[in-house]
Amino acid sequence: MAEIKVENLHKEFGIGEDRVVALEKVNLEVGGHVFVSIVGPSGCGKSTLLNILSGIETPSSGTVTITQDNRDADPGYVFQAARLLPWRTVMDNLLFVQKDRSEETRARCQRYLDMVQLGDKLDKYPGELSGGMQQRVGIARAFSIEPDVLFMDEPFSHLDAITARTLRRELHEMWQQTRKTVLFVTHDVGEAVELSNRILVFAKGGRLEDDLQIDLPFPRDPAEEDVAVAKAQVLRKFEELDLVAS
Amino acid sequence: MTTVVTTAPTRQTTLRRVIGSPLTARILFPFAVLAVWYLIYYTIDSRIFPTPQQVAVFMWEEVTLTSGVRYSSVAENLYVQFAISLVRLTIGFFVAMIVGTVVGLAMGLSKAVDAFFHDWVMAILAMPALVWALFLGLAFGFGHEAPILAVILSGIPFVIINVREGVRNTPKELFDMARAFEVPQNKITRHVLLPSLMPFFFAAIRYAYAIGWKGLVIAEVFGSDRGMGWTIKFWYDAHRAHGVIGYALFFIIFALALEKLVFDPLANKAFKWRPKIDAVEMAEGDFGAVRSEAFLLAESQEVGEGVPMTSMEGESRNG
Repeated sequence: MAEIKVENLHKEFGIGEDRVVALEKVNLEVGGHVFVSIVGPSGCGKSTLLNILSGIETPSSGTVTITQDNRDADPGYVFQAARLLPWRTVMDNLLFVQKDRSEETRARCQRYLDMVQLGDKLDKYPGELSGGMQQRVGIARAFSIEPDVLFMDEPFSHLDAITARTLRRELHEMWQQTRKTVLFVTHDVGEAVELSNRILVFAKGGRLEDDLQIDLPFPRDPAEEDVAVAKAQVLRKFEELDLVAS
Repeated sequence: MTTVVTTAPTRQTTLRRVIGSPLTARILFPFAVLAVWYLIYYTIDSRIFPTPQQVAVFMWEEVTLTSGVRYSSVAENLYVQFAISLVRLTIGFFVAMIVGTVVGLAMGLSKAVDAFFHDWVMAILAMPALVWALFLGLAFGFGHEAPILAVILSGIPFVIINVREGVRNTPKELFDMARAFEVPQNKITRHVLLPSLMPFFFAAIRYAYAIGWKGLVIAEVFGSDRGMGWTIKFWYDAHRAHGVIGYALFFIIFALALEKLVFDPLANKAFKWRPKIDAVEMAEGDFGAVRSEAFLLAESQEVGEGVPMTSMEGESRNG
C-alpha cells in the first residue's frame, strides 16, 4: 500500500513573457488500492504532474511525499509510447530496470511477461513486435519491479481501438490482482470511467478543478447504461472547463 | 490453340525473372566491365592502354615476386610497400578515430565547444586532399609524418561530424525512462548512451577508413618515397599503365575484403536488433548503408513523443 501526498505543488516553464504555468498550487491525496485517472484538456499539466511525481522533473515549489510499505520499491512508469531499448531483447528490457539479475529476478520478469501474454517472446527485439505487444512489454516492465505505485501516461492512446480495449481489460485484471495505487493520465474520458474509482479533472493553467468518485462495480462495460451515464457526466464537466478556459 | 498461347508467356516470364534477378546482374557486371575495357582498347589504339591480361599478369608477378622489378633499396616489393601504407593508414585511422571521437563528443555536448570548432571542421573538410599532400610533403619531407597526417586530416572531419550528430540524436525519451525507473548512471551509459551512438560510430569508422585511404595515396604520390601511392607514381613515371591499374586494383581488392570480412560482420553483430533492410541498403549502396544505419536508429526511436516531456507541447498533441 502507498500514500501519495501532494502539497501546494507549483510548476512553471520559461521566464518573463514566455512564462507558462503548468501546475498551479495543486493539493491532493491518493492512497491504497485505488485507480485514479487524471483527465483534462491539452496543456492542463497532466503529464507534468506525473513527471514530477516520478522524479523526471522537479517542481518550482511545493512538496510531494510518497510513502510505501516496501521502502526499496521505486514507482513503476508506463509511458505513452513503450520506450523500450530497441537494441535489447524483451527480457533484457525488463532486466534493465531491475536492481539485480538473479534467478529470482528473472523468474519474476518471466511471470509478468506471462501475464501480458508475451512469455514466449523473451528473445525478440522490440522492432520485431507490434505496437500493442511493445506496450505490453512496457506494462510488464512497470509491474516487474513490483512497485506500490504505478504511473501511467496515456499508455493506450497510440494503439488501435481493439488492441487498446484488450489491454485495458488486462490492465484492470493486473490491478485487481496486484492491488497497486495507480495514477493514470488520459484524455479519453470513456477510458477513465471504465477503469477508475476516482477521476481528477484538471483545467487549463494546471488547476485541479474537480475530484469525482465513480462508485460503479467492476468490470465495467462501456455499453452499460450506468457507465455511459457516468461518462456523459464527466464529459459535460470536461467540456464546461474547456469552454471557460478558451 | 489456346493451350499453346498459355504456355508461351510462362516460359518467357521465368526467363525474364532469371535475367532480371539481382544475382544475374551481379555475375554479369564483371563481364560488362571486361567488354567495355576491350572495346576501349581496340577503339583508341593507344600503346599505353593495357589489356586485362596484361594487368592480370602484372598483378600475378607482383604477388608471386617474379616480376624482377626493384622499386628502391628500402621497399622493394608489393608486400613491403603495402605493409608500409597499411601501418601509416592504421596509425592515422586510430588517431583520427580517437581525437575525432573526443572532439565530436565535446561538440555534441557543449554549444560553446561546437561554436569553437565548427568553422575549423568545415575548413578541414573543404580542403582538397591534394593540398594536404603538397603542404605536408613540403613541411615534413619524405618520411612517415606527411602520409600519416594526411590520413588524419582527411578522415577526422567525418569522425567529428558523425559523433557529434550521434550525441545530438541521443534518445532523450529513453534517458527519461531510465531516470523514472531510477536506473544507475553507469548502467544508463552502457545500455542507452553507447548503443545509441553505435550507428554513428560505425559510419565514422567507414568514412575514416575510406577517406583516409584516399588521403594516404595522394600524400604518398607527392610526399613520400615508398608506399602504395609512391609505387603507383613509380609506374606512372615509367609510362606503364598496367602498373598503375594493377596497384589500384590491389587497393580495391583489399578495401572490399576489409569491408566484407571485418566491417560487415561487426555491423551485423552490433545491429542484429534492427529489422532487416537489405533492399534499402542495396538500392542506396555504401553511403546508403552509412545513412540508413543512422536513419534506422531515428526510426526505432520514433516513439511518437518527438517533443521532450519537459515541454508543455508534449501534451497538446493528444488533447
